[in-house]
Amino acid sequence: MSELRKELVYVIGHYGQVGITFAACIFVGIGAGILLDQKVFAGKTAPWFTFIGLAFGLAAGFKSLYDIVKKAERRGGKKPD
Amino acid sequence: MEHPILFISLILETIGLPVPHGPTGHGLLEQLCAPYMTYTWLVMVFLFVVAKLTISNLEMVPGGGQNFWEIVIEGMDNFFVENMGRKMTDQFFAMLATFGLFIAVANLIGLIPGFMSPTASLNTTLAFTLIVWVTHHFIGFREHGLKYYKNFMGPVWWLVPLMLPIEIISNFARILSLSIRLFGNIMAKEYLLAILFMLAGAFFAPLPIMVLGVLVSLVQAMVFVLLSVIYFSLAQEDAH
Repeated sequence: MSELRKELVYVIGHYGQVGITFAACIFVGIGAGILLDQKVFAGKTAPWFTFIGLAFGLAAGFKSLYDIVKKAERRGGKKPD
Repeated sequence: MEHPILFISLILETIGLPVPHGPTGHGLLEQLCAPYMTYTWLVMVFLFVVAKLTISNLEMVPGGGQNFWEIVIEGMDNFFVENMGRKMTDQFFAMLATFGLFIAVANLIGLIPGFMSPTASLNTTLAFTLIVWVTHHFIGFREHGLKYYKNFMGPVWWLVPLMLPIEIISNFARILSLSIRLFGNIMAKEYLLAILFMLAGAFFAPLPIMVLGVLVSLVQAMVFVLLSVIYFSLAQEDAH
């Protein structure tokens, strides 16, 4: 029972964050892009840094997804039973 | 706000202190009297008083209160040791256990009518998250020195222009995801309870949501602490 509950907490903590982490990565990326476009370059480079930021945000989302999977894999490999 | 009646705000208003009607006030005094602040203090006082009452004099053969705390603290200690090792646990146990207890009590207090969860405000959760985020970078720099930057550089040198922004973005996304998850879950619970109470309170419609609310409160507190522990242990691990 205790082992099962521990596993449940771990799984909820680990895989429950997949969706929100993906969304947060995209938001941070696109936010940084808009900030660069509007504040740093004052709208002169208007759509470009936003798109670049979006692309990097998407890539960061997939990267964090990959990290989560890799972490779970390593934990599974560490346990012999 | 979420709750029609917040009794601390009512008391403060009768004393004559300004209680803001928006999410936060304008002046300093008004901001200090915002509901999430006053209820944060209430939870802090509650934890202090309960701990003082139950474990002020420790006994060899524990009574009810001491037994409860021993189980809670021992469970958390085992959990931390499993995930980040003995040394780190000894250093950061106080901080993480405080987060866990505070968030659990703060989430659960919102289920009682007249109380509000301090964690239903983004200010509270963002403050917790920033503390965790700064601490995990501090751990990384302490463990690896300046070589900690290699964590952000990717596996090979020619991938650096690609990997550096990606790693930085996914690192900043931790602030967003950790704070907004806790805030969103608890705020959703509060609003759902308030709306169901207004719609069909006479037919006990909020009751099933309250049962779920207990579950969500405890699970979110555990998840917050678990993710903090994971971030700490990742920062402490060797870079690539």
